[in-house]
Amino acid sequence: MKQKKIRFLVGSLLIVGAIGYLITMGISNTSQYFFTVDELLSQKVSYAGAGMKVKGNVVNGSIQRDPNDYLNVKFSIEEKESSINVTYQGVTPDMFADGREVVVEGTLGKDGVFHANTLLTSCPSKYEAEKEAGKMHPGALSTDKYKEPGLKKVDALPKTTI
Amino acid sequence: MNDIGEFTLLVALATAIYGCVAYVMSARGNRIDLYLSADKTPLIVWGCVMISSICLWRAFLTNDFSLQYVWAYSNIELDTFYKIASFWGGQKGSLLFWTLLLTTYTVVVHFQNRKKNLRVVPYAMAVLFTIIIFFLFLVNFSTNPFERIPLPPADGRGLNPLLQNYWMVIHPPTLYLGYVGFTVPFAFAVAALISKNLDDGWIRLTRKWTLISWFFLCMGNLFGASWAYVELGWGGYWAWDPVENAAFMPLLIATAFLHSVMIQEKKDMMKVWNMSLILLTFVMTIFGTFITRSGLIQSVHTFDEATLGYYFLAFLFVILFSCMALIIARLPLLKSENQLDSFLSRESSFLFNNLLLLGIAFATFWGTIFPIISEAVRGIKITVGPPFYNQVNVPIGLALLALVGIGPVIAWRRATLSNLKKNFFKPLAAAFIAAVALAPVIPLGSRVENYTYVTFVLCVFVTACILIEFFKGTAARMGLHEESMFGALATVTWRNKRRYGGYIVHIGIVLIFAGIAGSQAYGTHIEKHLKTGETFKIRGYDITYEKLVAIEATSVKTRVIAQLQVERNGKHYWTARPEKEFYKGQNQPVSEVDVLSTWKEDLYMILADFRDDESATIKVYVNPMVSWMWTGGWVIAFGTMISMWPDRLEQRRRLERFRREESLFPSPAQE
Repeated sequence: MKQKKIRFLVGSLLIVGAIGYLITMGISNTSQYFFTVDELLSQKVSYAGAGMKVKGNVVNGSIQRDPNDYLNVKFSIEEKESSINVTYQGVTPDMFADGREVVVEGTLGKDGVFHANTLLTSCPSKYEAEKEAGKMHPGALSTDKYKEPGLKKVDALPKTTI
Repeated sequence: MNDIGEFTLLVALATAIYGCVAYVMSARGNRIDLYLSADKTPLIVWGCVMISSICLWRAFLTNDFSLQYVWAYSNIELDTFYKIASFWGGQKGSLLFWTLLLTTYTVVVHFQNRKKNLRVVPYAMAVLFTIIIFFLFLVNFSTNPFERIPLPPADGRGLNPLLQNYWMVIHPPTLYLGYVGFTVPFAFAVAALISKNLDDGWIRLTRKWTLISWFFLCMGNLFGASWAYVELGWGGYWAWDPVENAAFMPLLIATAFLHSVMIQEKKDMMKVWNMSLILLTFVMTIFGTFITRSGLIQSVHTFDEATLGYYFLAFLFVILFSCMALIIARLPLLKSENQLDSFLSRESSFLFNNLLLLGIAFATFWGTIFPIISEAVRGIKITVGPPFYNQVNVPIGLALLALVGIGPVIAWRRATLSNLKKNFFKPLAAAFIAAVALAPVIPLGSRVENYTYVTFVLCVFVTACILIEFFKGTAARMGLHEESMFGALATVTWRNKRRYGGYIVHIGIVLIFAGIAGSQAYGTHIEKHLKTGETFKIRGYDITYEKLVAIEATSVKTRVIAQLQVERNGKHYWTARPEKEFYKGQNQPVSEVDVLSTWKEDLYMILADFRDDESATIKVYVNPMVSWMWTGGWVIAFGTMISMWPDRLEQRRRLERFRREESLFPSPAQE
């Protein structure tokens, strides 16, 4: 009976070991540093060329799009007095705007510009919004950021033409 | 009215404390008077919480913005439908909602067990009440939904438009029904430990609870994925976000539990294991809530209430340590008579299935908390993303898939070579044929493509195993009775709802695996900035950007719609209308993607951006086999329904068993 127990223990340990190995390999292969902008800039070691994620707020007025290639965007992100420049190729999320918190994933170039592969904006979370709400007097909430899209408006959806 | 709402929560808390103490004392001192008194409390506590909830709903429906919570999540213009759903839209309300569900479940448990199982019920009720007390404490003193604003404003902030869709009404409640549901088996497990009633009585009592809760948790996860896919518009359905993982881990552990209890019921083995699993399931539901609410882990959904996080953490540790101590104390009583005999047996398949499920759960857990650990240990935050989870969970998942086929078929106790041959020859042959047939037809070479190939072959293997099981049962019945094939199939399924319902669920799982594999390996996408009239190609589709139209849908909502004509092989195939919705008062728009779903693939269009000159940025995804996943979900739902359906024969047997037990062990009520 004891032999069976040992065999099962060994078998189970093998499975557990295999999974543990997968996890360790997975972490060492795919993990990325995660910095806020000020943390990144205050790092003593140079991370030029390394893949990482950086979090910061979009600097007001810094968003520039290439007039020839609309999907080519340059902007800056900041956190606590530090800021870096970012370039990104691709569609920007709906919530990407001045002042928004974003997380960019990509590599820091030797020139200090961050080349982003992915651009994520934080969902204005329900609970975060509530915290904001709790701290401010309701009357102080600004409602003038709404921007009407500058297109001709029609009354009804036109029928398809085919 | 708001005062009533607030006050009843206090009454509920006091009553729950009384009830908990009374139940414990009645059980320990065998005091019938205390038991009868405690037995009045579940209904009272539920009644109070219900009244309080109704008060909150009333506040929403009457636009009472003196409540901070109502102000934050509603406004006058909001559709009534969403005013009701906003109840669980924020932190405070969702905790009250959890409490409402928990007290409702407690009342049901109370009624179900009024005159039976009186050795364990008092303790089970006490455990349920302890958890209720925790949540009532939070709702009364930490995050009170009835918190007031001294000068009520005229209108509220409104609900985030991203949440204004029917998923908001379905997904959170479904998930909560699952989470909260697992409290009941947990309570009975602890009660069994305390009262030393350690046969499988607690498992049988709570089997329906486990199954129903598992069902809701599974559906909740699938709804979340579907919501993300259809509404959030990034072309995918799962991002391994910490909050997603928080809902996924309990599901995995609950699945392990669901399977391993079968071994305890049939073979009286794995008792300690089962106790530990239900404890872990419950701990994971609380942990998931903790992650979601504490903001400790960077997530797209991060919320931010530090104090609340600490309460949950403390609660978590108290439960974990007290239950572990209890299990260790009862270890001698949890020893099984039987043992695992062979690696090749159904028992071991179940054990391996459990190990694999827990492996995935642990890997997911590790990936989720890794940033916190790395920051604590090295001072730098290190994160892992989808590549990590794919690299680790996919191989384990494939091994699990193989077991889905092997487990139900392999013999109990010890599978000999001859019965292995008999059972697995045909499925293996089918798999081999599939492997040979698919190899030339589908792309191979990259890791993802290879995994998908293996997945498809395994899916064929598992489907063959399941279909053969159905066939064997049907054939056996046809041999004995004069029935048509369909009649025999229906009867045999109905007579063995648990088993065949489970097989149907497995078919659903196969579909989901296939759908995930196909969409991950063969998907493609393109993004283009176009002027009206321009055309582009993707995967055999010719897409023309026709025009851009803006419509004022309501006084606060403007829709900007892009119309695209899709052609295939020269013929018109689809008119796509992805749009963006702009809401007054919200400073970002909401994307409404347009998707054409077929069995083969989804054609998924996003209007990413547009400019005043009517040029637009369009992003197109071709996602193969995504609809297989949702179909798989429906199949799982159907299979679970069948499994859960009450069985007259089983009920009669159970009643007889109880009558026998009660005569042997008279309960306090009868003395």
